[in-house]
Amino acid sequence: MRLLIVEDDQRTADYIVRGLTEAGHICDCLSDGHDGLFAATRDNYDVIVADRMIKGLDGLSMVKAARAAGVATPVLFLTAVAGIDDRVEGLEAGGDDYLVKPFAFSELLARINALGRRPPAQEQRSILRVADLEMDLIRRRVIRQGQAIDLQPREFKLLEMLMQSEGRVITRTMLLERVWDFNFDPKTSVVETHISRLRAKIDKPFETPLLHTVRNIGYSLHAPA
Amino acid sequence: MRRLELWRSTAFRMAVSFAVLFVLTFVISGFVMYQVMRADLSHSLDETAKETFSVVAATYDGSDLEDLIATVKSHTKLTSPHERLFSLSGPDGSHLAGNFTGMDVPEGYSVIGDIPGVQADGTYRAYSGAVGANRLTVALSYSQTERLEEIVLTGFIWATLIVAALAVAGGAAIASRIQRRLDAIATTMGDVSQGRLGARIPLLGNGDDIDGVSTQVNEALDRLSALVEGMRQVSSDIAHDLKTPLNRLQIILEAAEYGSSNGEDITGQLVEARAESRQINDTFEALLRIAQIEAGARKARFAEVDLDAIVNSIAEIYTDVAEDSGMSLLARRTLQGPGGLVHGDAELLTQMFANLVENALRHCPAGTKIELSVRREGDRVTASVADDGPGIPPEEHENVFRRLYRIEKSRSTPGSGLGLSLVRAIADLHGATIRLEDRRPGLGVEATFSASRGGHS
Repeated sequence: MRLLIVEDDQRTADYIVRGLTEAGHICDCLSDGHDGLFAATRDNYDVIVADRMIKGLDGLSMVKAARAAGVATPVLFLTAVAGIDDRVEGLEAGGDDYLVKPFAFSELLARINALGRRPPAQEQRSILRVADLEMDLIRRRVIRQGQAIDLQPREFKLLEMLMQSEGRVITRTMLLERVWDFNFDPKTSVVETHISRLRAKIDKPFETPLLHTVRNIGYSLHAPA
Repeated sequence: MRRLELWRSTAFRMAVSFAVLFVLTFVISGFVMYQVMRADLSHSLDETAKETFSVVAATYDGSDLEDLIATVKSHTKLTSPHERLFSLSGPDGSHLAGNFTGMDVPEGYSVIGDIPGVQADGTYRAYSGAVGANRLTVALSYSQTERLEEIVLTGFIWATLIVAALAVAGGAAIASRIQRRLDAIATTMGDVSQGRLGARIPLLGNGDDIDGVSTQVNEALDRLSALVEGMRQVSSDIAHDLKTPLNRLQIILEAAEYGSSNGEDITGQLVEARAESRQINDTFEALLRIAQIEAGARKARFAEVDLDAIVNSIAEIYTDVAEDSGMSLLARRTLQGPGGLVHGDAELLTQMFANLVENALRHCPAGTKIELSVRREGDRVTASVADDGPGIPPEEHENVFRRLYRIEKSRSTPGSGLGLSLVRAIADLHGATIRLEDRRPGLGVEATFSASRGGHS
């Protein structure tokens, strides 16, 4: 993917650019908000990663201006401003996701991947399929190999998210935010517990596992390679 | 310089204004009094002139002019021409008796001066009238009245000067007294801004307005210094609490560095180091979050939220987690309809109850029963998280809400010691009261909110 990084801390910027390039992305890195706005409106990027506190125009104003100018590129805010209201502000200004420093690189990568390949809104599917697993979003039913699987509502939501991001890594934090509406880190194994319950229902009775744990990062649902 | 400062002081300006006003009032009232007195004096002079005229005129019985002449002569002899003058003239204008003559004095009252043949100067008040066919004139000198007026005027001027001096001196004295007290306040505030938070404004103890203001300022300073002391305490706690994991991190990194130079696999140490740095960051984040919640800006986003729904969603999320730890979690539903509506922030309330449940999960052994419930009593909604685990000794009940406080025996279990501080901060933001209850065995935590108005059933 083609990414625009607007970050004025040189070390962080170098670290991000190196990691993302190694992951196969093409990165343009700028350190000034005005330059960032210009680049965002001129070029067609897949994802914009913006720090909130940068030189020139601040990140929030930059994204607001870009949105006003009709730029629809997904934006990920990357920031040390970790206030509970700041996240809401960032999303209201037109950001699509928000990641707080210090962050794990794997978290950033997973979120960029999730943003970049988000299916267009009109392409809402009512049936999701991964290998032999099928989810009917309208009838709220899950079937694998012709067998109906009974899921709790939370487990259904969890599986839905994993199926929609088929093949991509979803981090624990992303799951907490989107499945549990938790914008804080619980100190107990909420995610692990529900993943293991889900796994017991969709994977255990069958031969090939679909739900995979990516150590220290998160989870991924995909057919065996 | 000093004089300039004095003139700038409000108290001094007020004193001077009052002195000017006072002196002005004194002068005006004195002037009025002087005018009244003058009118009175001239009236009594008239009376005396007429009376003397009557006394002298009474000696004339219509025929014997000699008696009248003798009386006028004796009066003339007895009184000084500086005080009284008499004149008696015949029908033809001839001088019969008295100290002066030839004056054409009109009948009735008149003022005369520069009388020919009289040594005394000055003006006189004259009363002239007919006695038979003759003409008698009695004139009284103004000198007495004038002297009296002079005495009064002089006295009055002196009095004015004394009053003015006293007013200015008294005003300055009062002004400087007030100024001293204002200076004391300014000095104290200067000390405080220099960082000496222990400084207090001295009080006179007479309960006047300046004392009242000073008391309030002192109380504000008391609170401020308590807050600063609290912050200092928290900062040193933070420093202390972060030093331990930072120290561990350093040791791990040193070991990794050493291991790496010897060609060993250091992946395990790096994982450990990451876990430590994560722990440090978690502590920071929790502290920041508490500080932001305490700042109160979040209140702007308050809306109607269903406490019952929040608590039940927490129960649903944690039931399996509790089961995996060998405990059981149960939500007792007693509310129907909108009885659990409160004015608040759903995200924060979710975190609050998640923290309480996690606290129970972390500190209780397997087999513990955790019970969640929401009940409505009048216009209060109470949510409770109760367990039958080891509980907290009652003497620790207040302490556990303090930042970074951890009961000795829980030091070994993971956690930042900030979970309950966050619970308290969220409760405070919502105006809710938090109560710990010793359930022997176990601990109950109750949070009581005011039901929102829309929630009346």
